[in-house]
Amino acid sequence: MIKNYLLIAWRNLLKNKTFSIINITGLAIGLSCFLLIALYVLDELSFDKFNDKADRIYRINAALRFGGADLNFPLSSDMMGQVLKKDYPQVEDYTRIYNSNGSKLVKKGTEFITEYNVAHADSTLFNIFTLPAIEGDTKTALNEPNSVVITEKTANKYFGTSHAVGKTLETDDNTKTLYKVTAVIKDIPLNSHFNFDFFFSMKNVDYQWGQFTSHNFHTYLLLKKGTDYKAFEKNFDTYVDKYVIPEIKTFTQIKSMAEFKKAGNMLEYSLIPLTEIHLYSNRQYEFLPGGNIQYVYIFSAVAIFILIIACINFMNLTTARSSNRAREVGIRKVLGTVRKDLIKQFLIESVLMVVLSMVIAIGICYLVLPLFNSVADKTMTVRSLLSPIILPLLIGLPFVVGLLAGSYPAFFLSAFKPIEVLKGKLKLGKSGSLRSVLVVVQFTTSIMLIIGTIVIYRQLHYIQTRDIGFNKDQVLIVNNVYTLNNNAVPFKQEILKMAGVKSGTLSGYLPVSSSSRSDNVFSKSPVMDSKNGFDMQNWRIDYDYLQTFGMQLAKGRNFSKEYGSDSGAVIINETAAQILGYKDPIGQKIYRSGDAPGQEISYNIIGVVKNFNYESLKQTVGPLGLFLHSSSGFASFKVNAAYVPEILKHVESTWKAMAPGLPLKYRFLDDSFNEMYTGEQRIGKIILIFSVLAILIACLGLFGLSTFIAEQRTKEIGVRKVLGASVQGIVQLLSKEFMILVAVAFIIATPVAWWGMSKWLTNFVYRINIEWWMFALAGVLALSIALATTSFQAIKAALMNPVKSLRTE
Amino acid sequence: MAANMIKITDMEKIYRTEEVETVALNKLNIEVKNGEFVAVMGPSGCGKSTLLNILGLLDDPDNGSFVFNDIEVAHFNERRRADLRKHNIGFVFQSFNLIDELTVFENVELPLIYTGIKGPERKKRVEAVLDKVQIMHRRNHYPQQLSGGQQQRVAVARAVVNNPKLILADEPTGNLDSSNGNDVMQLLTELNEQGTTIVMVTHSEHDARYSHRIIRMLDGQTVTENILI
Repeated sequence: MIKNYLLIAWRNLLKNKTFSIINITGLAIGLSCFLLIALYVLDELSFDKFNDKADRIYRINAALRFGGADLNFPLSSDMMGQVLKKDYPQVEDYTRIYNSNGSKLVKKGTEFITEYNVAHADSTLFNIFTLPAIEGDTKTALNEPNSVVITEKTANKYFGTSHAVGKTLETDDNTKTLYKVTAVIKDIPLNSHFNFDFFFSMKNVDYQWGQFTSHNFHTYLLLKKGTDYKAFEKNFDTYVDKYVIPEIKTFTQIKSMAEFKKAGNMLEYSLIPLTEIHLYSNRQYEFLPGGNIQYVYIFSAVAIFILIIACINFMNLTTARSSNRAREVGIRKVLGTVRKDLIKQFLIESVLMVVLSMVIAIGICYLVLPLFNSVADKTMTVRSLLSPIILPLLIGLPFVVGLLAGSYPAFFLSAFKPIEVLKGKLKLGKSGSLRSVLVVVQFTTSIMLIIGTIVIYRQLHYIQTRDIGFNKDQVLIVNNVYTLNNNAVPFKQEILKMAGVKSGTLSGYLPVSSSSRSDNVFSKSPVMDSKNGFDMQNWRIDYDYLQTFGMQLAKGRNFSKEYGSDSGAVIINETAAQILGYKDPIGQKIYRSGDAPGQEISYNIIGVVKNFNYESLKQTVGPLGLFLHSSSGFASFKVNAAYVPEILKHVESTWKAMAPGLPLKYRFLDDSFNEMYTGEQRIGKIILIFSVLAILIACLGLFGLSTFIAEQRTKEIGVRKVLGASVQGIVQLLSKEFMILVAVAFIIATPVAWWGMSKWLTNFVYRINIEWWMFALAGVLALSIALATTSFQAIKAALMNPVKSLRTE
Repeated sequence: MAANMIKITDMEKIYRTEEVETVALNKLNIEVKNGEFVAVMGPSGCGKSTLLNILGLLDDPDNGSFVFNDIEVAHFNERRRADLRKHNIGFVFQSFNLIDELTVFENVELPLIYTGIKGPERKKRVEAVLDKVQIMHRRNHYPQQLSGGQQQRVAVARAVVNNPKLILADEPTGNLDSSNGNDVMQLLTELNEQGTTIVMVTHSEHDARYSHRIIRMLDGQTVTENILI
């Protein structure tokens, strides 16, 4: 019997090729979208969970407001971890990671290679995180200075073998240092919030140890089993009073935390569970750009919606075919089949279809995964489909979807009365309400996705074209100029000689996120207290900085060689000027605390630069002070685009001559600028792809549905034509209902999309307004796509010769 | 006005499928005068329905001439045929072909909408014709709620609401019992007496006797014509 069912099912597939293709493809696309998004979401949720002690590991975050600007960072002082461990028995262990340089030059053979995934760490790192050693003992590996732990990949890169313990690596950050490899660990999984290749000993960090007020370390605590971390956070107030305040008192007039807070300031510490860092943290100075839980929710919703849309289609299309199957049902019934068997037959057919779709979907996943990986910046493999969460889905889904999608047609068809069917008197009920709801659901989703896509792309466009207070175009940036040492200035002079180079500057501080930052507390008067102090970025620049980046002065003057005293001068930005509150800040002084009271350093304000966005537009422009001081992280040149090839050639040859063996790295400022928004661009692309697919699937469904309805109404159309209806009138008649449904979907989608996108836009301090035309465009788009889909069938029906549809039975 | 409403000369209609060629009309010649009531009879497959479809401008002949009210319409395109049809011809089908989703009133109103008559005028005319076929009391019912005889009366009402010059009836009593059938034939006779030309295809000798003339067809040709009055 089963064989007969399968045979009939298979022949039916072949008989209605177009229908079968539409049906199976639609479902397969839907399923593959669902699987891909499921992979993505599971990957996002899996971050750092490979650590055995993941549920007990917490990172210390700090939040500081001093003088108006809010700072939120994942950093703490060098002392914090150890005193917490000493004072609180709940702290089983702590470890620190330091990577303030961001990169190191490591020698391989005779050449230096720039390595970016480098950090200094305490040995306890390997006790807290699960980073298994292949060779060596990680427990003690970093105890001695000049020791380094590297990953397997790195060992192979530098030594051609993973057995590298005992070998030596040479690094160069201004001074050459030799490190002995003491352990080789397995490569760090990609779903980790850090991906270092080198862990150097903490003892090699050149640092003024023993501080409580300078925050430069990522500190992780391993809490004992059963510790409530929220309750533990309450101890931080005691910690601040005991350790931080006494140190603050040594260089300010601030007497207590209460007084500090009363003046509108704040210094707060908190813990974030390790497994939440990737999706919830997103602070400045994270090791890697994080994910965003909002996107995980959005994508999950999209995945489920696409699956629902695809299943709805499957149901609609299968039902649509039922009129063709009515005769078969009638004959089977006359021959003695009972209803139960018919239901079974149709369910088996539908499960078979879904299984087929699933197989195709897995094939699609296999083919598009590399593409999806590159768009989503992931390295997921098809093997992830075999994970304990997805595998049951793969097996279970065809049955659930098959039974769900097949049930309606199965029960619907099997209820046909054989005599009526065979006499052709069958009247297919309209059962419009359910199907209308389904169409509305499909188009609501599609319209929301379209609106989302439009808003995201407008915002990205806005960011890229907004006046950010400096000119990001045609600025060539040469990295690691500090490795030239005394040759940095001659290098700049040499490049400046080239035609097409308009100006050049040496500074490690760039107006894009991926460059040096440092902040200090300053005050309006020599003696700092809670009210006159404020935290401000202090950047070291040279005479040509403002000109090279095209920054404008609002007041005063630029640094100039004509004034001998400019080393004691400062140019502040408008935000800093506002905090200071002077009517005319030019000529006023600001102070920075020295090592001891009475050793304050004063700076003379000579200019106010117009605010420029030096971080991404997600952040406000904080107070900034520019100081004349040598800093040679980068050499930046404003160039004429036409001369770029020659200039690059000259930069290369000059670099080779001045820094033999050292790698040359350069980039353009606008690329670095765009990099700040790769996350958003990625989301934009993914949403675009899935909204196109969602619409495509919805259209397939609409196509099926309009076929169904046109078929149902053949007789009516015939009558109307006989009575004089025009083709146009018939098309309107048939399309009108769908248009009403799309309009209803639009009305539902608009407020939801508005709410969702407004929420997304709050990520940005500088953002577009959601405007009416975005909704209108989405509505018109959805409407015209729906119209195009349905009118195909409608026109076909309207052109049909009424004689055929009205032929007497 | 010409004496002949319909003059068909040497008309041919051939249906082709991939394998077979069926000659539905074979050099057919027919004339119908203004105000005449003609019955067309013949066995299944003799070409009656094809003839009716061509007379109704639903289908076009392959060859021959079809003069309707002195105008040669055999080569009219779809749009002109539809235009001519909706102003001049009413249809009554065996299976009524009322639209299930529309009420009695709306069904009858439909041809008036398509000829562009304004709302108040439509209401007046629909009510008048519903009165005439004695179905006014069921004007807001749906077709399924009516008996077969009532449905056919609605169909007749719909066919005449536009005051067509010609009514084409395809076995109008085929789905009705004799009493309801007689009512419908009575109705058609009355319409004919008021000047409407009627061409009716039927299998029933009884019904055919209501007409003035019976045209008998076989294999796409007329074989005999009986004048009844």
